[in-house]
Amino acid sequence: MTPADVFKKYLPKDYVELVDYGPFGKRQDEAGVGNMGQYKELLEEHPMCSGCWMAYFIRVVFAALPNPEETVTLGTAGCGRLAISQAAVPFIYGNYGDQNAMASGLTRAFRLRFPDKTKDVITMAGDGGTMDIGFSMTMHAWIRGEKFTTIMLDNEVYGNTGGQESGMSPKGAILKMAPKGKNFGKMPATELAKAAGCVYVVRLSPTNIKNAAKIIRRAIFIAREVGPTFIHAYTSCNIEYSIPTNDVFKDAKEKEKGRFSFDEYMTDEAREVIERVEAQEKEEKKKRKAAKAEGVS
Amino acid sequence: MSQNETPKLEKKLVDINYLLKEAPREQHFITGAQAMAEAVKRASVDMAIAYPITPQSEVMHLVGDIYAQGHIKEYYRAEEELGTMSAIAGAARAGVRLFTATSGPGLLRGLEAIVSWPGHRVPAVLGVLTRVVNAPLSIQPDNVEMAYLLHSGIVVLHAENQQDTFDMTLAAFAIADRVDVYIPVAVATEGFFVTHAKGYVDMTPEDMALTEFDPIAAPVPAMDNETPPARIQRDAPVQKSNFMSYLIHSVWQQEIWDSNKRAMKYIYEYLGGPIEVINPDAEVFVCASGCAAAQAREAQRYSTEEGLNVGLIKVKAIKPFPEEELRDIVKNAKTIIVPEHNAIGWLAKEVKAAIPNSGIVVDGPKVYGGMTLPVELIMKEVYDALGIENDLKL
Amino acid sequence: MSKKITVGPAGYMPQSAPSMGVELAPEGKALLYGNIVEEEEAMRDAARALLTNENPTIFPGPQVLWDWKDDVKEKAAAIVELASEIPNCKIIPMPDYRPKYPKIDVKAEINPNHPNLTILDNNIKAAVFVGVHCHYANLSLRMIRAGTDCYTVALCAYMGHEEAMASIRDLHAEDLRKFKEIVIEERNKMGIEWTTTPPPANPSLPKEDYTALSPADYGEYRSLIMSQKGEHVAEVE
Repeated sequence: MTPADVFKKYLPKDYVELVDYGPFGKRQDEAGVGNMGQYKELLEEHPMCSGCWMAYFIRVVFAALPNPEETVTLGTAGCGRLAISQAAVPFIYGNYGDQNAMASGLTRAFRLRFPDKTKDVITMAGDGGTMDIGFSMTMHAWIRGEKFTTIMLDNEVYGNTGGQESGMSPKGAILKMAPKGKNFGKMPATELAKAAGCVYVVRLSPTNIKNAAKIIRRAIFIAREVGPTFIHAYTSCNIEYSIPTNDVFKDAKEKEKGRFSFDEYMTDEAREVIERVEAQEKEEKKKRKAAKAEGVS
Repeated sequence: MSQNETPKLEKKLVDINYLLKEAPREQHFITGAQAMAEAVKRASVDMAIAYPITPQSEVMHLVGDIYAQGHIKEYYRAEEELGTMSAIAGAARAGVRLFTATSGPGLLRGLEAIVSWPGHRVPAVLGVLTRVVNAPLSIQPDNVEMAYLLHSGIVVLHAENQQDTFDMTLAAFAIADRVDVYIPVAVATEGFFVTHAKGYVDMTPEDMALTEFDPIAAPVPAMDNETPPARIQRDAPVQKSNFMSYLIHSVWQQEIWDSNKRAMKYIYEYLGGPIEVINPDAEVFVCASGCAAAQAREAQRYSTEEGLNVGLIKVKAIKPFPEEELRDIVKNAKTIIVPEHNAIGWLAKEVKAAIPNSGIVVDGPKVYGGMTLPVELIMKEVYDALGIENDLKL
Repeated sequence: MSKKITVGPAGYMPQSAPSMGVELAPEGKALLYGNIVEEEEAMRDAARALLTNENPTIFPGPQVLWDWKDDVKEKAAAIVELASEIPNCKIIPMPDYRPKYPKIDVKAEINPNHPNLTILDNNIKAAVFVGVHCHYANLSLRMIRAGTDCYTVALCAYMGHEEAMASIRDLHAEDLRKFKEIVIEERNKMGIEWTTTPPPANPSLPKEDYTALSPADYGEYRSLIMSQKGEHVAEVE
């Protein structure tokens, strides 16, 4: 991301800071989840509610990206896009629930236009957009084996439209359009993903930032080479579920013991990619350490 | 040949004016579906996405074949029309040339995505091979579905026959491409009557194709993080709010309709204009589009043989509608007969809305639900308009 | 000439210029108040507007702000040269097209979702759009014509814009330099004194170089600084 020379002093502060202190072209240890706040993050301002766990997770996703300068995100109607659209990464938006169909077309077109480059395509949408209205498009993108990452921001409700019951709401939850409580159970999203052919499927409640970043990066690395990857993240809506802001983290930890227990699934092919990439990262870290030690002595 | 091996073809790339007006042509006898696919073959299309529905499936089968032959770079079958049309929209963001086709209920199923294409500036070409809209279900031709496109901002061309289908599909790719248009173009023609019937088509050579799509020469940035590499977002949800002008959505809509209007000059340049007129001095006109225009042409020929002063107005472009051109032609007319293949008479409505003397419009004959349009039905209206007695056994 | 498209405010919900019958100029020509004219005529009228109206501003868009194509360097330099010849001209960029939250800094940037905010707050009466993708240029120009009395000039790499008072098409760096020459000519004709001065830097940028600071510079506040990993703040005043 380089501005035209003469214009650098005319760009607003935000953009200059992204160029000078942003994560583009940098490693995770230079500008990643370990030192958020010490560099210009991709996501800084957003209109999310106070206590929104989704906003926090989205911020982590952006801090974890391996190549933000080659990343394109897609979203859809919902709370997520309010934050995702404010990040310094191109964002595409169509009709409700179509993010995985759009991503199918987009990834294929990118491979045509950039055969020698990897473009990371990531869809980030809520439970309604991914599993209800977008169900067919989500599932079929997976079934076709489209190579991109799907992240479902599961707050178990249609938050942005005022708190209606969602397919991912738990049975019995009393929400709008379910005044007597939801009649059927929570959709088994990760099971559906596995059945549809996703090669890397994770369910998590993002309470551990390092772990969350590792999962996100794995999903992206695998999607580059093997097939569709899926992250099912618990991102609570403190408004619709009346969780006091101070208790949001505690709630996330509780869910981790329950229906959002950590579960990581990968095919053998996916495992090979992770082992290779992570071994390479370790190697490079070692080399850097050695070079640094040499430089000092 | 393995699934992933497609041959690389050597083609002479030319601009649309050369391709349509100067390139040598050879006569073939092919169906309308073949004609559309042959046009796609010569248009340097990057990606086509398919989903079956009679009677357009043939078009997408043939497009699939030409993909396997190496004329198109990417092709796949999607899960249903909304998925197809959404994927087209997604691929368009990457900056590639796109094609898909649908019919009747398929058009309606994908309509949410299709009508959002213009606002997203998706320069795709959509083949509309008309078919009855349920209920009741039928696979037969009926073009009521075109009425749903008239309010979307999409450029709509209506092909009379196989030759038209070929020329209009080629022209459509060029029209959609123009920086001051850059909205989808639909090329419509009747299912079965045109798609499955053979006709003579003069076609340009197979090894000659339209120049490739340029993702940079566009009124909106390609979303590839390179043109330019910045935090670009080209279609933000523009709800009224404190960080949005109250006008933003309105001016965006205006921009789409302006782009639709701007397409007219290219319709003149590539297709010779939005209407074709035979015998402009007539007082009775038969005005039709698509397949009905072929029957209208017959009626005009018939009338001329009988020494009657009847004119033909064939409407090639439905949107942008040729209001001024029509007003000029019919300013002294006494009757305009508008035969159509649908129950609602959408073309007659457009004609009436465009001219000050709309009382002269005869809203029909209309056939629908898959019925053919015998010339005798039109001749009856002609005879009635001219006050001639007839014994047509209708 | 009859002015079809004039300086606004045109009203609550104005008709778009193309729907009023304005057509884009063919190659080699330009648009002035909605009429097809010679390029030089449009440039002269635009130059005069920039020289006589308050707070003239150039709004460069993403196509020239970012170094992504070969011809950007030359174009960008030409734009700054042009701005340097217009007395008291500012450069306010349009770095991207999405709505900024919570509100843009109107002194620092302009955005196509609410260009009128920047125009009105800065009291800009003459503006030049260059390097903005056509779709967003059309939206911005129409909103400005609707709600402000700003004279707009569109310098377009493609076919031009019907909504601007003056629209030049097929813009290359040499056309920008030609425009600059015309500005200088008109300026001399009108007897306006001005030494070539580049516009002031973006007001949102920090006035001093913070990278040269050390914790010691913060005096009594150094205990509040978040130190870098591995860094140990030892200096105490």
